[in-house]
Amino acid sequence: MSRKRHRLVPETFGLKRRRELGDVEADPLRGESGSAREAVAEIVRLFPRVLFEDALPPIALRSQVYSLVPDRTVADRQLKALQEQGEIRIVQLGFDLDAQGIMFTEDYRTRVCDCVLKACDGRPYAAAVQKFLASVLPACGDLSFQQDQMTQTFGFRDPEITQLVKAGVLTVRDAGSWWLAVPGAGRFIKYFVKGRQAVLSMVRKAKYRELLLSELLGRRAPASVRLGLAYHVHDLIGAQLVDCVSTTSGTLLRLPET
Amino acid sequence: MLGFLSARQAGLEDPLRLRRAESTRRVLGLELNKDRDVERIHCSGVNTLDIEPVEGRYMLSGGSDGVIVLYDLENSSRQPYYTCKAVCSVGRSHPDVHKYSVETVQWYPHDTGMFTSSSFDKTLKVWDTNTLQIADVFNFEETVYSHHMSPVATKHCLVAVGTRGPKVQLCDLKSGSCSHILQGHRQEILAVSWSPRYEYILATASADSRAKLWDVRRASGCLITLDQHNGKKSQAAESANTAHNGKVNGLCFTSDGLHLLTVGTDNRMRLWNSSNGENTLVNYGKVYNDSRKGLKFTVSSGCSSEFVFVPYGSTIAVYTIYSGEQITMLKGHYKSVDCCVFQSNFQELYSGSRDCNILAWVPSLCESVPDDDDERRQWQPTPMFLPHGWRSLVGYSP
Repeated sequence: MSRKRHRLVPETFGLKRRRELGDVEADPLRGESGSAREAVAEIVRLFPRVLFEDALPPIALRSQVYSLVPDRTVADRQLKALQEQGEIRIVQLGFDLDAQGIMFTEDYRTRVCDCVLKACDGRPYAAAVQKFLASVLPACGDLSFQQDQMTQTFGFRDPEITQLVKAGVLTVRDAGSWWLAVPGAGRFIKYFVKGRQAVLSMVRKAKYRELLLSELLGRRAPASVRLGLAYHVHDLIGAQLVDCVSTTSGTLLRLPET
Repeated sequence: MLGFLSARQAGLEDPLRLRRAESTRRVLGLELNKDRDVERIHCSGVNTLDIEPVEGRYMLSGGSDGVIVLYDLENSSRQPYYTCKAVCSVGRSHPDVHKYSVETVQWYPHDTGMFTSSSFDKTLKVWDTNTLQIADVFNFEETVYSHHMSPVATKHCLVAVGTRGPKVQLCDLKSGSCSHILQGHRQEILAVSWSPRYEYILATASADSRAKLWDVRRASGCLITLDQHNGKKSQAAESANTAHNGKVNGLCFTSDGLHLLTVGTDNRMRLWNSSNGENTLVNYGKVYNDSRKGLKFTVSSGCSSEFVFVPYGSTIAVYTIYSGEQITMLKGHYKSVDCCVFQSNFQELYSGSRDCNILAWVPSLCESVPDDDDERRQWQPTPMFLPHGWRSLVGYSP
């Protein structure tokens, strides 16, 4: 239980509560961005573009946005608003039900254009991909597409849809529906899952299974962490795989007992 | 506080505002208190607690060994230190005691003369409180996970029972038999709850990931199946029409009956609009839940922003309902917490856990400092210690 609650008990009707997680001064990583868009921009800055030779758009995860925007409901609403306006695209990364990748639409469009068209110059599916990027992306902001939507509303034929799947822009979900996908994201997901396990094991091996955030960031990243320690730490905090405890020496990351 | 009092006195503000502000302040100060204790009777985990709605004075608890204990929560001694004593109990030696673990107990909503208890021995028993005898027994084919009686019903005396089978049974206390079956779920029913607003609306939660709202007068089927994606399959990660991505473990209506909270084994808690079944998409974060049977959680009532108290492993997590913010985690139990109840008159929380303890969480706002008491005692004029000059006047002989 926290002793801080005594001074947080308000005297007035309006509850002005300071979030206990908002220990801002000592840690550069825990500075709170005001809005979801700024949070996504900040994570995008942390994304290692060099690693993927600019073939992938910079992907942020939803859990990382939760780490930077402390109120989850507000973060969800802002992300949904951004998605409806067409500024960001949300993509289902296959390894976890909760893990959704977020990227700016502009980035997605330019990278997919470059990468796919470079890869399939002269191959038959260039035309299908172009048509998809031009017609479907601006119109439909969802994560997945249904059979009737693709054939009737957008006028794709079955062979064209197969070409889109081959190009990597769509992933099969079940019969008659497809997820939006990022071509070449397989490498990213592999590095991400390995890196997440590696950073979690760093915390797990520490004495008492807890580590100061500053100490964790100061350590040398193990070889399996290719995306950067800061990137993974945001994800762990936002996905609540570690508990954040604010102490006088800064933020402490502790593995939950359950 | 003084501002509220003077505004209330002058008629500038509604009296309810002061009450809500003070209730909220007290709930935010909930803490374990060395002065308050609940007598330890159970020898095995406490599965269920219920406080009677009439006075808020008596509490029932049901344990994993089939024992049911009745506590008196009122502090009638003049001391601050108080142990809530057990008034009576249905122990292992009682002829009609449940054979296996008691899963749910509930007071009769209108007075304390009767209570109901359901257990893994496939029975629902109706007890007379004063004589501690059974008034009626309902037998089922499957183990009973949960039962609930409507707190606002005046036209019916139905008890909704959720068992290991997929059918929800409604038992009528007046006639003594099962009057109704509600069909629609596919696996065991882990929690049932009547709406505190409408006497015919029932919510049920099942292990098949679905939570349904029923009107018991309607024969054809459920009113609404709660869908976490609000019908938008495109945003769904899995098949739609499920309330959670795992079993739905617990159900609780808010005190005004307008919203419904559900928890599931996918470690999520969701808030639903109970009139149209829409997911309000309030995000509470990870609400750890690995209970294989129902989880009994509770909401506060009478505060300005309502709070929900959810057992979270061996602690109790407190969230604001409508904004999803986590206020605190109440730590005190040694093993996993199974149930908690809120006493709204004094803003106290009682929780029962597998470590056989019932803990009382009491608002702690101003602690009396020992120094103040001593000073006051020195200045108090007592008849024995008259100042020296007065002794001759009253005829006191040294």
